[in-house]
Amino acid sequence: MDINSEEEDGELGFSRNYFLAKELGSSSKKSTHKLSEIDIVDEQELRAAAANIEPKHEKEITSLIDGYKNMYSEWVFALRCSFSLLMYGFGSKKALLEDFASTALAEHSVIVINGYLPAINLKQVMIALAEVLSDQVKTKQKVFKSEQPFSSQSIEDLLAFLDGAETEEENCFVCVVIHNIDGPGLRDYETQQYLARLAACSHIRIVASIDHLNAPLLWDKNMVHRQFNWCWHHVPTFAPYKVEGMYYPLILAQGGSNQSVKTAAIVLQSLTPNAQSVFKVLAEHQLSHPDEEGMPISDLYSVCRERFLVSSQVTLNSHLTEFKDHELVKVRRHSDGQDCLFIPLAAEALQKVLLEVNQ
Amino acid sequence: MAPSSPIGDDLLPSSMAPQNIENNIKPFYVLHKASSQGKDRKSAGQGKKRRRKEAPSSLQSPKKHEGSIAEEHDGHHLHQLQFEAFCSFWSKIESTIKDVLRNINGSVFDEILQWVMSCFNATRSTGEPSFANSIRSFPVLNGSTTRQLFTGLVITKNMEFVDDILTFEELSLFLKHQGCHVGMLSSLDFSVKNGIAGCLKALLREFMDTTMDSADISNLASWYREQGNYNKPLVLIINDLERCSRTVLSDFIPMLSEWVNRVPMILIFGVLTTVDSLRNILPSHVLHHLCPCKFMLGSPTDRMDSIIEAVLLKHCAIFSIGYKVALFLRNNFLNKDGTLTSFIRALKIACMLHFSVEPLSLILSQALAEEDQEDGKFALPPDTVLKYVHELPSRARNQMADETGRNLAQGFSNLVSVKKLWSTAVLCLHQAGKYNRIRLLDLFCEALFLSKASDCHVGNGNDSGLPSSNSNQQRSIIQECGYISQIFRKVRDFPPEMLFQLVKSWEISTAGVVEIHDKLKTLQSSLRCEDGKRPTKSTDSKKEAARISLNSEKDSRILNSLVVTFMNDLVRSFMRPISCTPFHEISCFNDVEKLQLALTGDPRSRIQVDLLNSNKILQCSCCKKSSSALLPSMHDSSIMYSLAEEHGDLINLHDWFKSFKTIILDHKNKRKQKLKLSPHKRKRKDTNESSDPSEASIQARFCNAVTELQIIGLLRMPSKRRPDCVQRVAFGL
Repeated sequence: MDINSEEEDGELGFSRNYFLAKELGSSSKKSTHKLSEIDIVDEQELRAAAANIEPKHEKEITSLIDGYKNMYSEWVFALRCSFSLLMYGFGSKKALLEDFASTALAEHSVIVINGYLPAINLKQVMIALAEVLSDQVKTKQKVFKSEQPFSSQSIEDLLAFLDGAETEEENCFVCVVIHNIDGPGLRDYETQQYLARLAACSHIRIVASIDHLNAPLLWDKNMVHRQFNWCWHHVPTFAPYKVEGMYYPLILAQGGSNQSVKTAAIVLQSLTPNAQSVFKVLAEHQLSHPDEEGMPISDLYSVCRERFLVSSQVTLNSHLTEFKDHELVKVRRHSDGQDCLFIPLAAEALQKVLLEVNQ
Repeated sequence: MAPSSPIGDDLLPSSMAPQNIENNIKPFYVLHKASSQGKDRKSAGQGKKRRRKEAPSSLQSPKKHEGSIAEEHDGHHLHQLQFEAFCSFWSKIESTIKDVLRNINGSVFDEILQWVMSCFNATRSTGEPSFANSIRSFPVLNGSTTRQLFTGLVITKNMEFVDDILTFEELSLFLKHQGCHVGMLSSLDFSVKNGIAGCLKALLREFMDTTMDSADISNLASWYREQGNYNKPLVLIINDLERCSRTVLSDFIPMLSEWVNRVPMILIFGVLTTVDSLRNILPSHVLHHLCPCKFMLGSPTDRMDSIIEAVLLKHCAIFSIGYKVALFLRNNFLNKDGTLTSFIRALKIACMLHFSVEPLSLILSQALAEEDQEDGKFALPPDTVLKYVHELPSRARNQMADETGRNLAQGFSNLVSVKKLWSTAVLCLHQAGKYNRIRLLDLFCEALFLSKASDCHVGNGNDSGLPSSNSNQQRSIIQECGYISQIFRKVRDFPPEMLFQLVKSWEISTAGVVEIHDKLKTLQSSLRCEDGKRPTKSTDSKKEAARISLNSEKDSRILNSLVVTFMNDLVRSFMRPISCTPFHEISCFNDVEKLQLALTGDPRSRIQVDLLNSNKILQCSCCKKSSSALLPSMHDSSIMYSLAEEHGDLINLHDWFKSFKTIILDHKNKRKQKLKLSPHKRKRKDTNESSDPSEASIQARFCNAVTELQIIGLLRMPSKRRPDCVQRVAFGL
């Protein structure tokens, strides 16, 4: 009668995998290959290529998504029974949810929240929801007491309206489709609390999607069981995360040395010739003393003074502040306790920077 | 019902349409507003219903076209009926559950009310606040000492505060009903972020129903002074003390105590752990202001048992769950979630799934209605009902009935009575098990298991009772059927007084169930007969009684064995497998996988399994795996995921890219080698088809796949310290 052992096995397996992976990471020789060893194409070319990736299995994906249409009636039934829907599984579920909302939920108003965007103002959403609901109630009931406009009401009042607006029809609700309820714009605890309270309103139903493995950690038991009241559905689509991935940097475009050389050169070119020369002094020192930890500030000052680049310590400091702000220069403690300056670039990159600046 | 757009257009490229691109970057937008279409359709459906009631024969429409329209209407109509059935059924269950919980908490609530009233009287006896005092904007203290606040600590015996939110809501309603002013705050109101001001605002909102701009407690004082208000006690409930911010609380409590003369607040705290927690949370000078009193709520397992009794055994015995579902719910409750709330939610989901997949379940709600009012009409015409009836496998197995509604009704009422007997038998066993602290939840699961397997087991049992540990097979039953055999063993050792007590309780619980009640009557008479033989009945002296009871130990053994035989009979005759009863599908939900998926989901492993089995899910012909090798035609992210599995917790981007590139190009190279051997014509054709992807496109695909894996949370981006590595976050399924 006991099936506990099976679950325990699963959990044991999970922790075993973790330690195995840790062990593998530490025991086996760590690969020392650098990313710069790959001949990375120019960023623009990379972006162009990324925009034109030939999709795989287009036909199969379409038929997979089409297959979910059979479940629409079941989903609507769950919504009507005051559950919220939570869709998960690999692949973008944006098109699927919107298709579901526009075909199967035509008799209800639908508002879409794009949770994958970096910032979302939830109060604006609630105002819009309240307006839509009051329209719906008005058309159905004709009589509606005039109150202050929703835009000047507090969130508490809006929630109270969404929960309590009286209609004669029991099943009158506005549906909120939330793409990526685990997205960066909605991920914080407070927003999730408000979303949960929104979901608990009697005239609101939520259809949401998650992509992150650990998304359920966003919610406590009260939110899950009493407020969101999720009905989970596993709907892998394998559709590309085009819109969802918009705000993620391309991994090969960001870290390459070409990139840092370019930015460094651009920053330097915008500075005064004297400032550029100060940087050059530091760079030459670093190139000629590759084993040293950096150049002591006092040394830099004396060299710069000799070359008439700066007249006082104050001027030098203002240049240095500029460099530090742009992360062109960093400070570290020398072994003899002195602060010294260094440029956080590899020797090759530094030479390239100097070349570009000199042009 | 769908707007007429071609499917292909609608799905994949929808995000590329111009108006969509604009919508994609808006934080939110209105997709569409409610159309009146739905309402029309609904009224059409209702019209259909009415028409059908008048003339059911009009269904058989000769024209095919009309037929299909009618079918669509039927479908919609059916959905509507299912929805209505679900609503009425679930609201009944919900109110049953509420009643059960209210009964359990009833005595504690009464105790609390009494205490509140005595506190109130105590505060009033010290003198009513005069009007002059109450409109001052600062508190007036009586004498030099500050007054204490009456504080009720309600120990919930349950770490899960979710279950108790409802309890406290009930308590608040109860107290309001008894004429108290009740306010309820939660830990959210006592957060550091909102501070004491937010907390006061929430307090005023609770009592005065208006939002005040200035959170000033003197407002509350003058409100309380207003006509009528001061005749009632003021109660403030904070339901999860442990989660409140201690700094806000230690500001709040002294402030209330300063005002206690004019706002005689009575506090009720929900405490999840022990009474000591108050001492841990609050500093001693704050504790000083409290005058505590302790109340205990029932334990969650007790509540669970009562809910099972009321929902699954007693009132709503018409809807039930199968063994697997019961076991899943039990394990989920005991090992994972531990909340009643999730148990009830699971029941609700089960109920919804059942209603949505089982058209005949409509009869359930009808039957329930029948219990209340002898109505007996089906909402669907019998021919539609019968159409579904024929699809039930159990009906085909039993070769039952001709095509008449009467036989269906017969079968159904048979099912109901079998279930009634079953649940009464389980209840009787539980009553015996109560002495042994056997949980109904466990017993319920085991009884379901027993009736599932009773074909082979119970048939073997002879009169001596259950499973004594003689043969191997029987030993295995003991292990599996631990709870029932425990009950039997315990009953065998019951003293006669307890036996009579037990039989008495059976008499009450089997009232109305003739079959069992009759057997019980027989048992009672033979017990009386056996008991009459014993000379112990009316002895006055204790010594005498002890002597005789020693002598009559043998006799009492006979009593015990009579009771055990009765119980054995219960198990054998009434705990028959329900799955053998025709039409059991109508009332029994058994799809545990579906329930589990809908209840908890499992994104962590499921998403990874998706990636591993992409070819199975997509059902494409191109990447059928013969071995575990990765094929270039597979989904890029799948390839990347599988490659990532070979790394430790850090993945070197260079290596990862190289191996990805190898996989992508590998197959092409192989094909080229093959082509070298093949005729020229084909070679030319094929090489035209598959030119090697350019370096840029491979890199772009790599980046894309990394982004996708990042979105699903498998990777963390390179840190400054290790710019060439990404970190794996998830390990294994």
